[in-house]
Amino acid sequence: MKAHAKIGLLALLALALMALAAVLLLRSQGGSGTVARISLDGKVVAELDLSAVEGRWETTFTGRSGLSNLVAAENGKIWVEEADCPDQICVKQGPAGAAPVICLPNKLIIEIVEGGDGLDAQAG
Amino acid sequence: MTPKPVKGTRRLTRLALLTAIALTIFMAEAQLPPPIPVPGVKLGLANIVTLYTVFALGPGDALLMLTARVFLGAVFAGQMMTLLYSGLGGLFAWCAMVGLRKVFPPKKLWLCSPIAAVFHNLGQLLAAAAVLRSWAVMAYLPYLLLAGLAAGLLTGLAAQFLLERLKQIPMQ
Repeated sequence: MKAHAKIGLLALLALALMALAAVLLLRSQGGSGTVARISLDGKVVAELDLSAVEGRWETTFTGRSGLSNLVAAENGKIWVEEADCPDQICVKQGPAGAAPVICLPNKLIIEIVEGGDGLDAQAG
Repeated sequence: MTPKPVKGTRRLTRLALLTAIALTIFMAEAQLPPPIPVPGVKLGLANIVTLYTVFALGPGDALLMLTARVFLGAVFAGQMMTLLYSGLGGLFAWCAMVGLRKVFPPKKLWLCSPIAAVFHNLGQLLAAAAVLRSWAVMAYLPYLLLAGLAAGLLTGLAAQFLLERLKQIPMQ
């Protein structure tokens, strides 16, 4: 079984390298658009042109589960300021960039997209 | 290599014991704060038991044990939603183990584990994509792969040692 083990090990190493490359690539690109698209439960509830935000923008999104996320945007960045979900991962994720900010329990997604629909913000 | 599972109380007791151990590890690990702020990244230490069971008692029994542990884990953790993610992830990983078991000998358990971990993460992400109704979650795939490979190696080695040591204790 020596051959199998070698192939297996090589496959894993290749996978690890590809994943590493993908991570580095994502980080360098850093989310090229300036529009943040916020969806709740699969439906887009707001689109925000981050470059057009003056000062600080804050809105609370409440999901069907009853949990809410306080989303803040300032200086071209958008992030989850506060949340009452159990794991707080969304808060710790920081600003959305290459990777979207996701609150899994609340089904909230903040992603940076190009262009968008030109909506400033839309109350869901 | 795998001893035929003894039917009846003995098998039930054995599986129940393994389930209890896996569940305890799972609950204990759930108390730790997430090391990396990416949804779904965790050590998955309870899988040490799953891996051991697959090679020591066979994939059928392992699936029974895994199903019980995942279900009870979701109930005890108070979040039934995690059932979807762990469930699909666990199913993918189990399928991978069924295949890998045919290719790799028990001595290479540590190698099978990272591969199964990758499948687990894939299952998790697919479940999350379905729940969130968006493919945006797939952006996390590279991060999960790296974390999964590392954690998989860790749990795989632990399970490998377990398998070697417990061989000296007759399981029948």
